[in-house]
Amino acid sequence: MEKTDHPAGVARCVTAEPAGTTVAGGRARPPGVRSWRLGVRLWWLGAALLAAACAAAVLGPAGTSWLEHPAVQAWRTVSLAITVQALPFLLLGTALSGAINAFVPAGLFARVLPKRPALAVPVAGAAGAVLPGCECASVPVASSLIRQGVPPAAAFAFLLSAPAVNPVVLTATAVAFPGNPAMVAARLLASLTTAAVMGWLWLWLGKEEWLRPLLRHRHTGHRPGHSRWTEFRLGFRHDFLHAGGFLVLGAMAAATFDVTVPGTVLDAFSGSPWLSVPFLAGLAVLLAVCSEADAFVAASLTGFSPTARLAFLVVGPMVDLKLIALQAGTFGRAFAWRFCTATTVVAVAASVLIGGALW
Amino acid sequence: MKRAVQNLLPALTGAGLLHTALFTDLYLRYVKAGLRPLLIGSGAVLLLLALTAAVTPAGRRPAEHADDHGHADSHGHPDGHGHDHTGTPRVAWLLLLPALGMLCFAPPALGAYTAARASDKPVAVQRGFAPLPATSPLPLTLTEFTKRVRQDRSLAIEGRTVRLTGFVTPAGRGGGWYLTRIVFSCCAADSQTVRVRVHGRPAPPADTWLEVTGTWHPRGTLGTPTAQAALDVRDARPIAPPVNAYTDDLPLTPSS
Repeated sequence: MEKTDHPAGVARCVTAEPAGTTVAGGRARPPGVRSWRLGVRLWWLGAALLAAACAAAVLGPAGTSWLEHPAVQAWRTVSLAITVQALPFLLLGTALSGAINAFVPAGLFARVLPKRPALAVPVAGAAGAVLPGCECASVPVASSLIRQGVPPAAAFAFLLSAPAVNPVVLTATAVAFPGNPAMVAARLLASLTTAAVMGWLWLWLGKEEWLRPLLRHRHTGHRPGHSRWTEFRLGFRHDFLHAGGFLVLGAMAAATFDVTVPGTVLDAFSGSPWLSVPFLAGLAVLLAVCSEADAFVAASLTGFSPTARLAFLVVGPMVDLKLIALQAGTFGRAFAWRFCTATTVVAVAASVLIGGALW
Repeated sequence: MKRAVQNLLPALTGAGLLHTALFTDLYLRYVKAGLRPLLIGSGAVLLLLALTAAVTPAGRRPAEHADDHGHADSHGHPDGHGHDHTGTPRVAWLLLLPALGMLCFAPPALGAYTAARASDKPVAVQRGFAPLPATSPLPLTLTEFTKRVRQDRSLAIEGRTVRLTGFVTPAGRGGGWYLTRIVFSCCAADSQTVRVRVHGRPAPPADTWLEVTGTWHPRGTLGTPTAQAALDVRDARPIAPPVNAYTDDLPLTPSS
């Protein structure tokens, strides 16, 4: 049993290694071409969906057969549910980011944080504890922090830690795992470690040109001669429209997975300790459950080892389908796929190390 | 024209949120009840955002700011939001889908299709059971019934007539059908199923809400984990879907 399982785990680590080096190395094609093509594809996808929505609007009451199919109904329910429960938090995040741009004096955060970026990273990661809510709020806030002159590495540490280490989420975790405070401690520790490591990794290997030009220009929000309130309103609306669109895209992707893959698939992977960790990490990416609720989902995955469930809790708030869509929209695609791949690898490694030490 | 679109999307989304959460109970099909104040607040904020923008005279808008987004993008990343300088990203059109969904085409609550594919919610271990009330038939939730059958060593449930509510999910193998509840902790994406197998009556159509009266279907040893959560049905009558459909609570029926 062990002999067959062990090489699988090793192979996984080995294949993860070159992925990391390509993240560090150059890219295969000029980014402009690729993102242009993706943009066109995205545009067509949007147009097709819009056409489908119009068709649904026209034909819905008439009762066409495929729209009445239970799978389509369930898909609509789940994608709407993910969007609806994330909207208040997204709105909170975009309002905060708009406020930071318009009202906070330029350079304030840079003055408060330690001067050395390597020190600013863990401080920003720990500061994530003050933003209550789930992961959708942290993306726009992190982007506004970068525009305010916070080092990107520190902003990314904040982005990763905020949805996982705030009191609301930790309380939910304690409630979902009654009599098991080790899970709460492990989640806190593994999330903070991953956030800090990712921040340092960005300092070491990150390239500013992966970010959208808008973020690189570092324009501070407020300009003399403009009303701060109008600037807040315009920034808020733009960020909401932009992030909201990507949220819907991510929600639809997650709903597609939710509806097409039956829950019984889980049982097939629960037996193997080596496969269960990457499997649950991957499941966290695909399910896109809100970080306030993921502890309850993890608690229900009874067949899996505590380490695998910890990986689910650590990866989920940092990387999932709707976050990938949000980050691609906010920071750019060149950034999003590199960052999300590296974060998944680091988060799984941190969970295995901390889970292995605890259990 | 473009300015109208920019305000139309937040306005529709806001109106949709208010429609589902404030004027109707539709939001309960998608998220937990505790989110209601947040949804109403979000809807109000979005409507306010659209309204203030609509009443601000066009001349007073600092067009430069909006331009900045467009210009910066079109330098290197014409990625679906660089061309129009008013700053409405194309991807924002996707917001129309949930907005219209909430306003006019609300999808139904999750049902048998999901229940048949979802994983079972684990039933918590309970130590010590209070004596059962003497009422007959005894109303129980599906979880309570499962606990009594599989964990209660005092066998208090033996021979008792119970009344359970849930919706019908076809059972693949093993005979009978399931009385089901879908439970979630945050939104419909993290749903889990609680179910009790029902014997002794042909399966009603899937998704029918029923109130079922019956006794434990003896299979396995009562009071141990070998016992099956199953019911010999004596009477089943259709009921209106309860308001709290996504809980495993005794049903609250909609006020008509």
